[in-house]
Amino acid sequence: MKKQLVNMKGTKDGFVLRLDDQCAYGELVEELKNKVLEGGIDGKVDVQLYLGYRYCTEEQLNELIKIIEETEQLIVSKVQSEVLTVHESNQKMFESQQDTYIGVVRSGQILRSSGDITIIGNVNPNGRVEAGGNVYVLGRLKGIAHAGVQGNKEAIIAASRFEATHIMIADQVQVMSDEHVKAINQVEMTCAFIGYDGRITYDQIHALKNIRPLLNVSKGGS
Amino acid sequence: MGEAIVITSGKGGVGKTTTTANLGTALALQGKKVCLVDTDIGLRNLDVILGLENRIIYDLVDVVEGRCKIHQALIKDKRVDEKLFLLPAAQTTDKNAVTPEQMKSLVEELKRDYDYVLIDCPAGIEQGYRNAVAGADHAIVVTTPEISAVRDADRIIGLLEQEEITAPKLIINRIRQHMMKSGDTLDVNEITTHLSIDLLGIIIDSEGVISSSNKGEPIVMDPSNKASLGYRNIARRILGESVPLMAIQDEQRGMFSKLKALFSK
Repeated sequence: MKKQLVNMKGTKDGFVLRLDDQCAYGELVEELKNKVLEGGIDGKVDVQLYLGYRYCTEEQLNELIKIIEETEQLIVSKVQSEVLTVHESNQKMFESQQDTYIGVVRSGQILRSSGDITIIGNVNPNGRVEAGGNVYVLGRLKGIAHAGVQGNKEAIIAASRFEATHIMIADQVQVMSDEHVKAINQVEMTCAFIGYDGRITYDQIHALKNIRPLLNVSKGGS
Repeated sequence: MGEAIVITSGKGGVGKTTTTANLGTALALQGKKVCLVDTDIGLRNLDVILGLENRIIYDLVDVVEGRCKIHQALIKDKRVDEKLFLLPAAQTTDKNAVTPEQMKSLVEELKRDYDYVLIDCPAGIEQGYRNAVAGADHAIVVTTPEISAVRDADRIIGLLEQEEITAPKLIINRIRQHMMKSGDTLDVNEITTHLSIDLLGIIIDSEGVISSSNKGEPIVMDPSNKASLGYRNIARRILGESVPLMAIQDEQRGMFSKLKALFSK
């Protein structure tokens, strides 16, 4: 019997669609088309797509997802893959870097970092901080801060005193007009992040532990 | 070997030239040999404030281009005996007539003969600023208690921190005592913490500064004036003395205004 290229399995995390990673892409597409049309499923089901060690370009991935979702019964909830391109890996490495700047970011100065940046000092009005990751200010943030410049929506901006004129996270921009100043009810120990509604939201730093649990990587403390 | 100090602000009209003229005179009155260099080529003012305008024969551009010797262009201020000299800027050309390298060697030459070389910087952050900063060892940033002046001071401090000079010092000029007391202008502490550099001194606003400038006589020559005292204190701090900061208090009101206040209640 011919080896199955597409496997549908039920696991404790839900349905997993395992695609063979050794065969030709064309064959895989053919078999996937047949497989999803077999039916036998009632209602809508979330599936996880597991690609194994096959590298799919953006277009290929979109094609696969389209084939699956055209059945109108399966919805791809997650795509898992075991491979990363060198570019993506480098990107991840840059974003995980941690820079520290001691001093004042003054008017007209731009401070850039590929990863997280910690500023020990103030960011003065018209001073600008751009980071691929998060921005932490141990001082007064009175200028412009842009976190997640490459598009990381999980990035946050935290400051001892949050008095920024402009806040940007990934592709979201917020200008601190009067109404937004009210959104920050306390400027001390405040952070900004993209909330569930996809818009920039503010909260106290102590709430960050629940908002971005993955930021917490330190050990101990118990 | 003397020291070269550039006096700058970013914003125009905050009192760089007045400060240069007065600090120079105050240092000369303390017995130091001082040379003032006006780098505001095309818009020179320092000579006017010092009342030396009609004695200019050669200027900075003539020196740089080799049309005259440096001592031929220097103008001696007769009020301060053999201590105060001015190198005026040219009025007929613009700031691109001089390069930072030329300024540097000019200031080096002056430093050999003078205790202090004060360089009056033009407003802005372009060529004129780069020329003025090129030869300096230290920098003084002048600002006023206005948000726009403080913003520009912040920008200029950022630029100065990238130069090979000592950390810039701050002068807050034109303080109106009653407005600062009532909180209508930024307060000295607020400005100093915002800019986070050392405060060299404060100058209290006085109408005497304007009238004395118009007469071509620096206010420092009048020892009873408050602004004059501020400049004298700064000069002493530059010389290494420790002088306490002047207290800011409401002006003494005259008899008439006191009476008026009484009746208007």
